[in-house]
Amino acid sequence: MNEELVFAGMDGVVILIAFAVIMLGIGYFAGRGKDLHNSMSDYFLAGRGLGIVALFFTLYATQYSGNTVVGYAPAGYRSGFSWLQSIPFMTIIVGVYLLYAPRMYVIAKRRNYLTPTDWISDRFKSKGVTILAIILMLWGLGNYLLEQLVAIGQAVSGLTGGTIPYHIAVVVFIIVMLVYEWMGGMRAVAYTDVFQGIVLMVGIIALLGGALYLVGGSFGDVSQYLADNEPEKIGVPPFATSINWLSMIVLTGLGAAIYPHAIQRIYSSRSERTLKRSFAGMALMPPITTGLVFVVGIIGIMMFPGLDTQGSEQLVGLMANEVAGINPIFYWIMVIMFGGIVAAILSTADSVLLSFSSMVSNDIYGKFINQNASEQKKIMVGKVVGIIAIGILLIIAWNPPGTLYEIFVLKFELLVQVFPAFVLGIYWKRLSAKPVFWGMLAGALIAGIMTLTGYKTFMGIHGGIIGLVVNFAICIVGSYSVKLSQKQKEEHEKITNFNVQA
Amino acid sequence: MSKRKIKEPVRKPWIWIVMAVIVIAGVPFWYSEDAIEPFIFGFPYWAFISLVFMLLLCVYLCWLSLTQWNLIEEEEDGRKGDE
Repeated sequence: MNEELVFAGMDGVVILIAFAVIMLGIGYFAGRGKDLHNSMSDYFLAGRGLGIVALFFTLYATQYSGNTVVGYAPAGYRSGFSWLQSIPFMTIIVGVYLLYAPRMYVIAKRRNYLTPTDWISDRFKSKGVTILAIILMLWGLGNYLLEQLVAIGQAVSGLTGGTIPYHIAVVVFIIVMLVYEWMGGMRAVAYTDVFQGIVLMVGIIALLGGALYLVGGSFGDVSQYLADNEPEKIGVPPFATSINWLSMIVLTGLGAAIYPHAIQRIYSSRSERTLKRSFAGMALMPPITTGLVFVVGIIGIMMFPGLDTQGSEQLVGLMANEVAGINPIFYWIMVIMFGGIVAAILSTADSVLLSFSSMVSNDIYGKFINQNASEQKKIMVGKVVGIIAIGILLIIAWNPPGTLYEIFVLKFELLVQVFPAFVLGIYWKRLSAKPVFWGMLAGALIAGIMTLTGYKTFMGIHGGIIGLVVNFAICIVGSYSVKLSQKQKEEHEKITNFNVQA
Repeated sequence: MSKRKIKEPVRKPWIWIVMAVIVIAGVPFWYSEDAIEPFIFGFPYWAFISLVFMLLLCVYLCWLSLTQWNLIEEEEDGRKGDE
């Protein structure tokens, strides 16, 4: 798919093989000597024992994918300075964590939750709510995984100049991911994230350094060039763009913070202190991740003026080519960066897949199909269904849809509808199952129909947000009209009150 | 350790008001069309001001995480010793 890279070919193949070996090695050591396959919390949550380094990097590498580079730089190229919004919409995720994670960490630890559904079913005790939430979350995860699969193939075939063709690239790297995840579960995912996260950071900084060097070292000159040649990309955004910007902050913040794999990272933390330090670190990452990628996109406007949408999607490849031509050091850094993009995609995909498997194993199989199954059997079902799901998604991935950013927004639209049940349910004891069910369903239908009929936004506001407003309204009005029994009040108090020693 | 002091962000309205103000201040609603110059560190005027609020949001959330959240830390420390 990509323009042919000057460094494509054997050098790229060598780096990719090296990366694959490193990841497999980490997976092997993560699982070695541990009895992971008899305990769901050991396999899916690393025994609730992730320390600060692993937790921080697994939050980081999961939230920021290869797409953050290959998809966001072109978005910056096309939108100009209004793409600065990619900084706050990533930052606000930590703000939403602060809304629910402190209490959720305590509740989950005391009540031994494995998946987000455990909380939903414990809180509402309603099959309807539980099943609908599972469907929305699995849909979001599946879509997210699909996006990563498409991206892996594009990145690898681009890096190797077609030496490794798209289809083979996807299959090989999926197998690598499945193998290390099979061996080490969440530990393997988190420890490989440390490696993958560092490589991604180094790659972004190197790409920016090289690009700045090529345009003469001054970002001011780039801005002046924009003001002279493409003033609409540097001007104050029109009102509708600003509304869309704010809507994007709300949608991403609420959606990304309640991704099932994000929630499971809260469950996996070794301690409250580890969790809050990890979040504190995460709050500082957007400027040096999406912020730097934004600058890369802006510089791209000066380096490669006049690309259309399709052409701009190749921007990172085009820039890496130029940067690699500076000298042998930059050449190798660019090879490593492209390997880093592949690694970053894998680091997101593996987390999503693990979460997907855990929900199949705990929520569907364990809750509805075979409640008496041993933990070992449940884990095995989750793993095998995960592999089957990957197979189905691969078939879809052979025909990659539209641009990457389009799919990114789509998955949030549905997932975010779980938000009222998940977060409001913690603090508001009146919130009852029936209104939650109808609110979630109405919100999902509004968001889904708007997207399918081509009206993704209304006056700049995303369909997911409009659905969410309706969803909240139904939850709140409906809950006020339902009388709460004394028993229900006590039950809510028992579950959510952290002052009571478990 | 003598006295447990519970801190939870959701109980403090000021946290959310300040957060909303910073987020909305960072969205470029507030500028006239010619707010491009002067360039500051290569950023057009409006984008630079927005960027300042974005960085403020990062620092604010980092600070909140470290100082405004304490539910069971002492309890955990007491149970397994310092980490």
